[in-house]
Amino acid sequence: MRLLHPDLHILTGAYAVDAIGDDTERDRFERHLRRCKPCAGEVRGLTGTAARLGLAASRPPPPQMRGRVLAAVARTRQLPPATDRHSPRGARPGRVPPLAWAVAAASLAAILVLGVTVFRIQHQLDQARSRDRAIAAVLAAPDARVITQGTSVGGTATVVFSLARHSMIFTSAGLPPLPSGRVYELWLMGPPRVRPAGLLAAGPAGRSVPVLAGGVVRGDQVGLTVEPAGGTSQPTTTPVLVIPLPS
Amino acid sequence: MDQREVRSAGLGSGLPEGRDQDLDRLLTLVARGDESAFASLYDQLAGPVYGLVRRVVRDPAQSEEVAQEVLLEVWRAASRFDPSRGSAVTWVMTIAHRRAVDRVRSAVAAAEREQKTSRLLSARDDVAETVEASLERERVRRCLDGLTELQRESVTLAYYGGYSYREVAGLLGVALGTIKTRIRDGLIRLRDCMGVT
Repeated sequence: MRLLHPDLHILTGAYAVDAIGDDTERDRFERHLRRCKPCAGEVRGLTGTAARLGLAASRPPPPQMRGRVLAAVARTRQLPPATDRHSPRGARPGRVPPLAWAVAAASLAAILVLGVTVFRIQHQLDQARSRDRAIAAVLAAPDARVITQGTSVGGTATVVFSLARHSMIFTSAGLPPLPSGRVYELWLMGPPRVRPAGLLAAGPAGRSVPVLAGGVVRGDQVGLTVEPAGGTSQPTTTPVLVIPLPS
Repeated sequence: MDQREVRSAGLGSGLPEGRDQDLDRLLTLVARGDESAFASLYDQLAGPVYGLVRRVVRDPAQSEEVAQEVLLEVWRAASRFDPSRGSAVTWVMTIAHRRAVDRVRSAVAAAEREQKTSRLLSARDDVAETVEASLERERVRRCLDGLTELQRESVTLAYYGGYSYREVAGLLGVALGTIKTRIRDGLIRLRDCMGVT
């Protein structure tokens, strides 16, 4: 990741004017932004500058627009505040321990995964009743934990796992599409051996269909590699992602 | 340096004296569901929002639609505004620009590729055409004049034209790395010229 930084840093300008057209590249830059304080400061200033350019384009809106917007407002419920993920900023920027951010991010991811999974459970009951029951069981396990991590090729992966149930659910978002004849393969990489854990299938909105894998044991790591279509029994390329499952 | 310059150096939205803080306060009230605060906010920001969207999207009917979405989003998401990350004006204009860009990059827009040419032409013309109306516009124009030609073209095509940096590179026949750099250093020079912090 380090080596990518100078290249990413010059994207502050393009980001501030919404000129990063590629979703994967923008995701990668946003992840970088969360870790790079000077970049975030620069983006703030450049976004303010861009807003000034916007103000210079001001022109009278169509008169009928006011009534429409106010009417829409009167029947639109507002979003609740975004918990207190951002509130420590005012007190002392940067003093939030990394773990706290990770926990906050993980709980958010858990909610998203739960939401997505519950949605799927409702809609795929007919085809995959048992599989979804198993997913629900992992999510409901008292020791279920969530880990979200970026991959080396872009996009993020989220793993929900339960050692008590020896299971994990894997989902991803924003992984770059592969050429035909290639597939993302998931692995459980343990001290005894490496086991194939499933192939990723593309789902809606750049996400992969959740994969449920059993046989998870203490000390396992979740890995992701690019393999020939159909998958292989052992990884043949360098993993683009390795997530250790803490016990 | 007059009072206005001093204020702008501190807050830098380019709006008249004190309006920045007024808008921050209004948005805080909006977050609590105050519809009359929203009406005041609308009266101050509907012009900037509509003008920017119109500049990027071009088509009046679509622009109106997008501007309405933006203003409704301001109402809906007001509680997510974080003053430590910038002013209310910047927050609103950022939403407006993003929505406008989403619209021109959507599949519908992609089907109408030929419109790109007109977007390209107007992105250039409009800078000259609309920046004359007020002191603030004058100042933006002066600052744009302080850029190199490539910086100015890169920034205005990206911002007013709604092009991605790849598209800007293609339009200007310049390497990707150069465009990324010119957008950044062009904006930095504008920031310093406008006194945005």
